[in-house]
Amino acid sequence: MTEQLRESLSALMDDEANELEVQRLLGQLGEDEALRQTWVRYNLARSVISGQPVGRLNLDISQQVSAAIAADVRPAVGVWQRLSRPVASLAVAASVTAVVVFGGQQLYQAGDPGAGAAAPVAATGVSAVGFVNTLGAVPLRASYGNQTMPELQPAAHTAYRELARQRMYLYMQEHAEHAALNSPQGLIPFARVPHIEE
Amino acid sequence: MVSTARSLFHALTFVTTLSACLVAAPAALATTCSETDAVALGWLAKMSRSYRELAYQGVVTFQRGDDLQVMQIARSVESGQTHELLTRLTGQGAQVVRAGHPLDCTHPGQQLLQLGDQLPASGCGIAEFYRFQVGEGKRIAGRLAVRVGIQPRDMYRYGYILELDRETGLLLGLSTLGHGDQTLERFQFADLHYGDSVAQPRDVATVHPARHPHPDVPDGGPALTAPWSVNWLPRGFTPTDSVAAVNARRTFTDGLAVFSIFLEQLPRELRPGEGVAREGSTTSYTRGMSLEGQPILVTVVGEVPLNTARMVADSVRLVR
Repeated sequence: MTEQLRESLSALMDDEANELEVQRLLGQLGEDEALRQTWVRYNLARSVISGQPVGRLNLDISQQVSAAIAADVRPAVGVWQRLSRPVASLAVAASVTAVVVFGGQQLYQAGDPGAGAAAPVAATGVSAVGFVNTLGAVPLRASYGNQTMPELQPAAHTAYRELARQRMYLYMQEHAEHAALNSPQGLIPFARVPHIEE
Repeated sequence: MVSTARSLFHALTFVTTLSACLVAAPAALATTCSETDAVALGWLAKMSRSYRELAYQGVVTFQRGDDLQVMQIARSVESGQTHELLTRLTGQGAQVVRAGHPLDCTHPGQQLLQLGDQLPASGCGIAEFYRFQVGEGKRIAGRLAVRVGIQPRDMYRYGYILELDRETGLLLGLSTLGHGDQTLERFQFADLHYGDSVAQPRDVATVHPARHPHPDVPDGGPALTAPWSVNWLPRGFTPTDSVAAVNARRTFTDGLAVFSIFLEQLPRELRPGEGVAREGSTTSYTRGMSLEGQPILVTVVGEVPLNTARMVADSVRLVR
């Protein structure tokens, strides 16, 4: 797989590929196993977000991929659409944290015997998914009488988005320590840290 | 609580001067440079040098979307060492201090920019990855500026507009440009004075001494139980520091952009997926995956486009 193809593939995932790149990809996907595998991996991550079952990506989907890409040929995303992209808020409010607890729990695979236990991750020193700043929070299964009600959970993509936001909050200062020594702006990267800790 | 920043500088000098400096610059690139590239690289090298050697103080604005921060920056040079102070004047009353940083200590990102001093022996440096335009700049903080426009040659990095002091080369302003030249983030001086700073006591709640990573001393941060590798990086990116193979963080720079990768080992399987958060020029990309049968959460945080973060995260592997 050439660097250029990989680049186009990534652009396609972000709706930033132009028509020429899409055509080139269509031509290559049928022949290039590595390219197909990369596409499958990218989509595996993406399909979970859109709520599709993961299993179908295990099939040989080169035909489907071609069809999907062909269907994806459309005019470049307009500037208004880009501008309307919501700006992520860095505020980790209590309510958001609560969502993350449920979200993080939801992301764990069903049927895993460990599910539900807030086991700390040894050696990493970083809290496990969904357990940042949530001391004492325990996921609950809502019930009404004897009848178990479905859990009220956000979709997986919401949970992952909250994880990304939470990780930005968690890691920004550590990142700034290195950016401050390796980019031209001096200590300015620390301005990106939501709350500077001593 | 320390009464003045100056005394804090002195207190911290002792600790931080013990740290030595970082690794050699990457191998020179054998390309011929266009005249425009050579001029721009010359300015970037001058900028990098002036940042190290000049003493100044001023007020800086930092804007991302609707959010505007105002900060005071002070930098002084004394006995071959620099002292640097950033004080938030809005929002959190926090101060970041870098004291006793040796003048001859240059980190990989700065070394990449200073290659412009050694043209043409050093090849074309970051002109391999960026296109340049040099023109007349605006007046910033009362100083006339030279404008260096920087466009990425691939889609793995952002573009920039740098405004440099025409006289000293100091970086007076910087805009980060995303897709379609949309401004993602901008900082610039509102007020600037050259010369040793007279730091004034401020109503500061938090004082954070900036860290100085050392090549031979383990990071001391979180670690995984197994070593891991990053199997794809955009061209021109190099590690900012050397870390143990099990260290949970790695950071890379091309001289202008910086991103860090963080790994977390999870106690149990996670539904595979990805999530993105953006703030100004910063992308936070989190990906849940299974590596060698182990559930791992990979997060890329940095001033790079989403596709860069995704492709880097996709290439992370545990080493058996």
